[in-house]
Amino acid sequence: MSETEENKWGIAHVYASFNNTLITVTDETGAETIAKSSGGTVVKQNRDEASPYAAMQMAEVIAEEIKAAGLEGVHVRVRGPGGNLNKSSGPGAQATISALARAGIEIGRIEDVTPIPHDGTKAPKNKRV
Amino acid sequence: MNHVTVPQDRIGVLIGAGGETMREVESRAEVRLDVDSESGSVAIESVGDPVAGLVAPDIVRAIGRGFTPETALSLLDDDLRTFELIDLSEHTRNDNDLQRKKGRVIGENGRTRELLEELTGANVVVYGSTVGAIGDPEEVEVVRRAVGMLVDGAPHGAVYSFLERKSNELGDDLSFSSP
Repeated sequence: MSETEENKWGIAHVYASFNNTLITVTDETGAETIAKSSGGTVVKQNRDEASPYAAMQMAEVIAEEIKAAGLEGVHVRVRGPGGNLNKSSGPGAQATISALARAGIEIGRIEDVTPIPHDGTKAPKNKRV
Repeated sequence: MNHVTVPQDRIGVLIGAGGETMREVESRAEVRLDVDSESGSVAIESVGDPVAGLVAPDIVRAIGRGFTPETALSLLDDDLRTFELIDLSEHTRNDNDLQRKKGRVIGENGRTRELLEELTGANVVVYGSTVGAIGDPEEVEVVRRAVGMLVDGAPHGAVYSFLERKSNELGDDLSFSSP
């Protein structure tokens, strides 16, 4: 890439399910991973992995790492479980994006890349509340 | 670009007197709202800061599900404020069953719903076939579990003591985490 150091951008892939949040920051092609994190790196209890607090802490760590890698900002691709599962993204998505913004990372476009079935397999039966 | 459907009788609330509410949502969330009052479809387009625009669909949805515009706009006050919608129609067999379970969540003269709000600190609104809650993530989680218990047929007393216990825990957490 012939771009100058100061305006390098990346893509933050945020996969937010109801059980975990995965953040992977790649370069603009998506081929080269720059930083990654998941819920388990910041919390002890499994059920806290999807919590917005965990997402915030992860985003802070990620922000440090991508600043060190010389990225100025990131485009965000948010994704929920999708497919025949839940179409909405979990509680970690919003927290991640706002925490990244607060840590001084410029946020470009936010895109929802949840896989939507063009009528695929039968959805699992409804869980009790 | 995002689309949210708002029921016919909430469109007036979303727009407000002379478009006041709509303009406030637009300016505070930095979005442009395009309301189709015939079909109730609202197109939301982010025009400014994408991070602020992210909550706009939730604000419009919250107003559509019976929240007052002030409560819905409180979603912008803090990053962590969350909006959750529980659809009772997924857990009911027919209209009669929905009516009965809604009644259980609301309680006599609205007592159960009021207690839900008081003991958790979240805002709870029952509208149509949905129960909505706006508050901090832990508060909303407690509301969701309590509503789940009520819908599953737990006695109100059991739910009240669950709420009482959680309300103490929530109080502890707050004093613990604040620096």
